Amino acid sequence: MEFHKERGAIMANQISDQFQYVGKSFPVQDAWLKVQGEATYTGDMVIPGMHFAKLLFSPIPHGRIVSIDTIKAEALPGVIGVFSHLNAPISAQPHRHTDGAVGACSQLTFNRYRTIPQQELCPEDESLFPETVRYVGDRVAAVVAVTMAIAAEAVKLIQVEYEPLPAVLDPRDSLAGLGAAIHPGGNLLHEYHLEAGKPEVMPEDSITLSSWSRAPKMHHAAMETHVCLADYHPSGKITIYTPCQGAFGVRTIVADLLQMPYRLIRVVKTTMGGSFGGKQEPILEPVAAFLARATRRPVQMIFDRPETMVSTMCKPVTESTITTTAAPDGRLLDCRVDDLFDAGAYATSSVDHAHAMSKKILRLYQIPYYGHRSRTVYTNTPISGGMRGWGAPEIITAMEIHMDRLAKKLALDPAALRAKNLVCPGDLDGVTGMTLGNARIRDCLEKGMISFQWTKRRARTQDEGRFRRGVGLACAAHKNGMYKGFPEYSTMILKMNEDGSVILNTGQHDVGCGTLQAMKLIAAEGLDLDPEMIDVLEADTETGPYDFGCYASRATYIGGACALGAGQKMRQILLQAAGKIFMVPSQHLATDRGTIFIKGAPERRLSYREVATKAAMEFNMELIVTHTHYGTSNPGVYAAHFAEVEVDTCTGLVRVVDYLAVHDVGQAINRMMVEGQIQGGVQMGIGMALCEELKIGADGRTINNSFRKYDVINAPDMPEVKVLLVEEGGDDGPFGAKSVGEIALVPVAAAVVNAVNHALGSDLSDLPLTPQKIIRSIYGVKSSETGVE
Amino acid sequence: MLISFILNGQETCLEIEPDWRLIDLLRDKLGLTGSKEGCGEGECGACTVIMDGKAVHSCLVLALQIRGREIITIEGLAKNGELDQIQSAFIKNGAVQCGYCTPGMIMSAKALLMQNPHPTNEQIRIAIAGNICRCTGYSKIIAAIGEAAGN
Repeated sequence: MEFHKERGAIMANQISDQFQYVGKSFPVQDAWLKVQGEATYTGDMVIPGMHFAKLLFSPIPHGRIVSIDTIKAEALPGVIGVFSHLNAPISAQPHRHTDGAVGACSQLTFNRYRTIPQQELCPEDESLFPETVRYVGDRVAAVVAVTMAIAAEAVKLIQVEYEPLPAVLDPRDSLAGLGAAIHPGGNLLHEYHLEAGKPEVMPEDSITLSSWSRAPKMHHAAMETHVCLADYHPSGKITIYTPCQGAFGVRTIVADLLQMPYRLIRVVKTTMGGSFGGKQEPILEPVAAFLARATRRPVQMIFDRPETMVSTMCKPVTESTITTTAAPDGRLLDCRVDDLFDAGAYATSSVDHAHAMSKKILRLYQIPYYGHRSRTVYTNTPISGGMRGWGAPEIITAMEIHMDRLAKKLALDPAALRAKNLVCPGDLDGVTGMTLGNARIRDCLEKGMISFQWTKRRARTQDEGRFRRGVGLACAAHKNGMYKGFPEYSTMILKMNEDGSVILNTGQHDVGCGTLQAMKLIAAEGLDLDPEMIDVLEADTETGPYDFGCYASRATYIGGACALGAGQKMRQILLQAAGKIFMVPSQHLATDRGTIFIKGAPERRLSYREVATKAAMEFNMELIVTHTHYGTSNPGVYAAHFAEVEVDTCTGLVRVVDYLAVHDVGQAINRMMVEGQIQGGVQMGIGMALCEELKIGADGRTINNSFRKYDVINAPDMPEVKVLLVEEGGDDGPFGAKSVGEIALVPVAAAVVNAVNHALGSDLSDLPLTPQKIIRSIYGVKSSETGVE
Repeated sequence: MLISFILNGQETCLEIEPDWRLIDLLRDKLGLTGSKEGCGEGECGACTVIMDGKAVHSCLVLALQIRGREIITIEGLAKNGELDQIQSAFIKNGAVQCGYCTPGMIMSAKALLMQNPHPTNEQIRIAIAGNICRCTGYSKIIAAIGEAAGN
């Protein structure tokens, strides 16, 4: 396959003409509204009489609240109420903490990651308004007022006295026992070991290499900040409008915290301006719901950018030391990983997140023995949470940087080393024992190498001048859904209106990537109906079916399979009904884009509308199906990325000048949006590699809590990202489709870092590779990086 | 205070507060919520509107600064329900995902094409340098603007 220079060139392995809609390109379902500014996001919503809430955040990283004086704030005209731990929800019963201690009946604690009742790995250490603040940005109090401006003004009038406690900001310091205990159980939140295979005695000629890398604290940087609108109805029902990734999880947490029955909390997923995991946990919702109930009015909460950067969640700092032993020909024999994971001030999802990091490497490589130790620590810094890939970018970045170092040590080409170890189709995941399905990573690597002209570019003589070019690659693996280890199913209700149009009622959450359009295309294919006749509803806990949420790369693999099943079921019902009308067995009928005809006599044809009307009016048939799809597999999804960079050895600035992403997607559902997701993931990964990092000062404040000082990649600095898709199907997703949204980020940072290291002959692995770090490396000035050899 | 200005082709006269930003006037006073506040400090471009032919961050313009000027917002692009070429190109080229950056991005593109009807790829990138997109990686946005320019 030739290397194409066309802008955004897409070459699929086989552009499918076998489907009418699936595999072709469509805009997202509401693009038409969005380009006119007519899409309504939560911050655009107005409920008559609604009030506004602003929060007071802690200015210190660790301390006890000695007193809160809200008198001046409450006296400000327009202020409805001021809330803090003094009037936060209390438990009716003594509360048992995670370390077994029984707490006083004051603060109800919760874990905002706990989506379902009785969920494991969810230490409950957070409260609505804590009595002890644990990071700069922790919630202290809330003001509800008749305007946003008055609420903000009143926040400034709240006077708080703190008794500072020793703070620990660096995860290594926390691991070493420095600083005060942030929670009763101590600062080592969780230690975790995992083993796959049996350690063997290593052959004499084997080579061992150990390396360290660090992935930075990052801001998700969705363009829409965090926002929530909680509407209180006099009947006692609270309706929460929120751009979330799991409406039912929001309901669980809010209802349990406010001690209300689930039927009185309705959560409606609204149009979302991006999330990338940042809106996966209910952060604003419990507060807004509490305030709405307390003031008996609708309450809108909008975080500005600095608040979103600091007081929601951020991608965790992780440090990984990877030690591999390989045969001289590059075969990996033994791999040990030691992770340090910074949870920040509260546990939330960090325990599960640390676990997730242990399950990725064996999806990508065949290694006889794998040992993983991870330690998760609290620090007095902004709370960690999952960001796109949920542990995969962190651990795969570390592994792929390590593999390049190993290749150097073994004098092997980096691609050749990967090829020696990558999984093959049908291999088993060493950790879970599940089949990896039609794992096409080798195809991705081979096709990518040819298209990118890898060998030629890699062999190019190194430049001597100011600008040095280099190329790097990285392979990645991820998953499709939550099967094995967590319940996994999705339910949808499909009903046909009398005019033959359809409403597909789902528990889906479109994060902005066009999930609903994909559901339309899949249902349309199953139903044999123009997608424009199909309307897809998003998650609404009151009116829609249960769904776990949009995460874990399950939306297409599980949700899409459900949409297909529902469409196919409805098509069968229509055939039955048409059979009655034609007085012909339904096996003799066929469908064609919203019509049903008799095989061999196509002039005898009815539209779905005619069938639907007759069914309703004459056969007492309602055309409605409820379909549940159960996940029974979790194949690997793969990608190989290739980057070319140019390093300015005078300034330390790095430009990514060329980029190729090859993805094993099984079957693209909406081709244009698959490419778009990949290209977006590359923007995020380049930022992770080169410039994105939330920096915490010695006083615990986030120094760069604004876009002015937090650098993301803008249009002039973004390379043209070419995309190649490998579509070999073979797994249980709709039409063989596998995920793309998360894996799009996973290999990027390593590909860029490996390219920089190739350009400079360096071994940089402390992300991001800022100009300062690059200059220090070039001129041999010691940095604080510890490279273990 | 009372100010007069032209908004999306219409002569407008409004009572404003001296501390309002243009984005507050548009969103809160006039209900034109197409322009978004992504950062409040002129870095992300989600609030971009056109003032006297130039793309500006409405979060950095005081409402009273628009007195006597002509403002175009995203809501003013489509004429009688017919989309502007840039809007159609965005839809067709997959340049819209979550849509939050889209209004500002389109307004920056509009301002560019009003000045320079046939920009190069590089000129397009620079025109949207002040508009952050976290979803698309910019490729399809640049392709869309190029198509609207007839490139």
